[in-house]
Amino acid sequence: MAKIASLALVAGAVAVALAGMAQAQEVRNATKFGDMATVTQDLLNRASDDGNNFLHTNGNYAQTRFYPNRQINTGNVSKLHPAWIFQTDVKDSLETSPIVVNGVMYVTTSFDHVYALNARTGEEIWHYKQKLGPISTYCCGPNNRGVAVAGDMVYLATLDAKLVALDAKTGKPAWSTDVADPELGYSETMAPTVVNGKVLLGTNGGEYGIRGFVKAFDAKTGKLLWTFDTTPENSQGVWATTDATGRDMHRDIAAEKAAYGKNGDPYKTLGGGVWQNPSYDAASNRLFFVVGNPSPDLDGSVRPGDNLYTDSMVSIDLDTGKYVCHFQYIAHDVWDLDAVSPTVLVDAKDASGAMVPAVLHAGKTGHIYVNNRKDCSLIRFSEAMVPQENMWVLPTKDGARMLPGANGGVEWSPIATNPWAGLAYAINLHQPMTYHVENSAYPGGKLWLGGAFKVIPSEEQWGNVTAVDYNTGKIRWQVKTSQPMIGGILATAGGLVFTGEPNGTFEALDSMTGATLWQFHAGAGVNAPPSSYTVEGKQYVVVGAGGNAQIDSKRGNNIIAFTVD
Amino acid sequence: MTMRASLLACGAISLAAALLLQSGPAALAGDVEEAAAICSACHGENGVPVDKSIPVLWGQNEGYIYLQLRDFKLGNRKNVNMTEIAAGLDKPSMKQLAAYFSAKPWPNLGQPSAPHDLAVSAETTAGSAGCRGCHQENWEGDSVTPRVSGQGTQYLRETMVQFRSGERANNPWMAALLKTYTDGDIDAMARYLAGK
Ligand code: HEC
Ligand code: HEC
Repeated sequence: MAKIASLALVAGAVAVALAGMAQAQEVRNATKFGDMATVTQDLLNRASDDGNNFLHTNGNYAQTRFYPNRQINTGNVSKLHPAWIFQTDVKDSLETSPIVVNGVMYVTTSFDHVYALNARTGEEIWHYKQKLGPISTYCCGPNNRGVAVAGDMVYLATLDAKLVALDAKTGKPAWSTDVADPELGYSETMAPTVVNGKVLLGTNGGEYGIRGFVKAFDAKTGKLLWTFDTTPENSQGVWATTDATGRDMHRDIAAEKAAYGKNGDPYKTLGGGVWQNPSYDAASNRLFFVVGNPSPDLDGSVRPGDNLYTDSMVSIDLDTGKYVCHFQYIAHDVWDLDAVSPTVLVDAKDASGAMVPAVLHAGKTGHIYVNNRKDCSLIRFSEAMVPQENMWVLPTKDGARMLPGANGGVEWSPIATNPWAGLAYAINLHQPMTYHVENSAYPGGKLWLGGAFKVIPSEEQWGNVTAVDYNTGKIRWQVKTSQPMIGGILATAGGLVFTGEPNGTFEALDSMTGATLWQFHAGAGVNAPPSSYTVEGKQYVVVGAGGNAQIDSKRGNNIIAFTVD
Repeated sequence: MTMRASLLACGAISLAAALLLQSGPAALAGDVEEAAAICSACHGENGVPVDKSIPVLWGQNEGYIYLQLRDFKLGNRKNVNMTEIAAGLDKPSMKQLAAYFSAKPWPNLGQPSAPHDLAVSAETTAGSAGCRGCHQENWEGDSVTPRVSGQGTQYLRETMVQFRSGERANNPWMAALLKTYTDGDIDAMARYLAGK
């Protein structure tokens, strides 16, 4: 099914025609909301039609990462060039999603620095540096993925598990509140999400035996409003023997039940981090998000049961934080092939062909799952975007080879969608690994993998960009990249998708064909999600090039904004 | 065994420890300097430990020092001297001591650089295990990950061996990692890190 396009440059007639098609949908680059500096709830609600600002980590509450301006399009993208480059003070793993409000851009770096920049010139307006407490625990680099904006505030969540509100004009902290105890392995790398006066945050720590959560804080005061624990006191579930795609997971249910009876429910140290943003559905006033792996990652013997709600998509009520429904992709995961890439709300065809409110998630398994928003039930899953072999062989002491490796498939990288084309765009890794299990007791908030994942040095690694038709589950096109991909992707009304590679390549692909229309070499790994915005009538695309700790790509400290003249 | 013998050799130490145990946690709430003086009986007045089996504390990372004290008290990490000392400390005292010692400059123990062949072997091991991913490029760690460069050779060797044998049980990941290493690997690594 998949058309494997090469990275050869294809331009010309096809591209121009497709740019024309894009016009039907987009919003003009007029200053519809452009003179407003205070981020009202109305502005946040309408972000998907806002061709000036970039107000949410993933573009809008549905998290489509579809930017509605088409000034930069398939016809002129070949002329894209850097408008400015801002150098941060921190040369380390860079995963920020730039946020833009009325010509002011907010970016973050490793170790929780925040910069406000003039989005037209790249000049610094202010710089805030979080003074980290003595304990910050992070498995995969001192990352931060960006801020949230609301009212006159900028919200930052920190490595030492604090939530900080900064004055958007000055960068001065207004208040700070403890999210959780870093000594127990809790830390924050995600950008918060703000809805209706609530700042929403999950947590990292699935590698440290935490008990995961989503918490809501009062946006004005920082007061805790509610907590949803991602591991309920009764986490055993239905003792599922197959995953969402129907494959046998080789569980020894009898042994698990015996252990459960003997040791009780493992929910207190069961992991279940939520470290990517939730989607918000205003119609139902519900949040949708994915919950990460159980702790310890590879050793299931100490955590019998399905380990609810790890490796699941969960929906809760925004006002109360109360559970509504969930769907578990993998019960009792012992491979860390969990659910991380943020959910996206789209309308999609159900099995009968009727359009229904749906939620997408791209898994580390390499499938894009399409679920019904109403009851969380599975509608379909896509063809696998990466090779799958030996699934689900159990980890062994000496290591069992299985594909995908523990980074996926799709890692935390947000996907993008093109709602009018019914396509979802995902970036993938192919990183063959062996899975090793080793039993150890809960180590009090220290790294607790229950074994190890080891990259097989003799095997080739690569990545790809894949477009999936979420109404059928079929792959529309696929472009192979020379290295595994982590970071994110942006789709625009100009018929383009933008994404970066660990080798420093930042590129624009034709969103209908996957043809590479433009490339830039940033000199450091481009492992961050791009954003787009418009100032004084001119559209820009911006991305961080600072490399990545997890896949050890070359570090740098550049925020690069591009435009066409 | 060797460690215990060498500690007994310095008479003042057990006395200092005994004093601390008698006075209990309350003493620390009063004065960090006073408590730190007790630690210095072993960990060194000027940051250079009085015995080769005792690790450098000066300039060590704050979160790491705190967690070790916590772990000695919890019993996840055991040591004849430290277990008793930590038993007498409460959480705020541990935090104060961690802040106090981490703010001091790291002492130069004057240890020689590892010979070329050992350094190459250690570099190879470090590269494949990704040690620097946690301990940082310069091996100085951060937060809860310890500085290991310039630490005492004998201490480094002993603590890695204890991780390997499971005797040091407060970090299953480091223990699992070192299980695959021979005595020779560990010796090369200890001398390489000590001479950095
Ligand atoms: C009687 C001697 C003695 C005294 C007094 C002493 N220590 Fe220790 N300390 C040791 C020894 C020996 C070790 C190494 C233990 C091991 O090998 O597991 C150690 C280890 C440590 C460690 C772990 C360091 C690392 O790199 O892992 C910390 C932290 C520490 N001590 C803090 C203190 C503090 C704080 C005090 C004072 C309250 C103190 N010690 C007093 C002998 C002592
Ligand atoms: C996943 C992160 C990680 C990796 C990779 C790692 N370490 Fe560690 N290491 C730690 C942490 C965290 C500790 C503190 C242990 C504890 O919690 O007590 C530590 C402790 C140590 C210690 C004890 C230091 C002391 O003062 O007692 C040594 C020595 C050490 N590591 C060496 C190494 C070497 C050599 C490698 C590579 C072969 C390595 N580490 C790889 C995280 C790591």
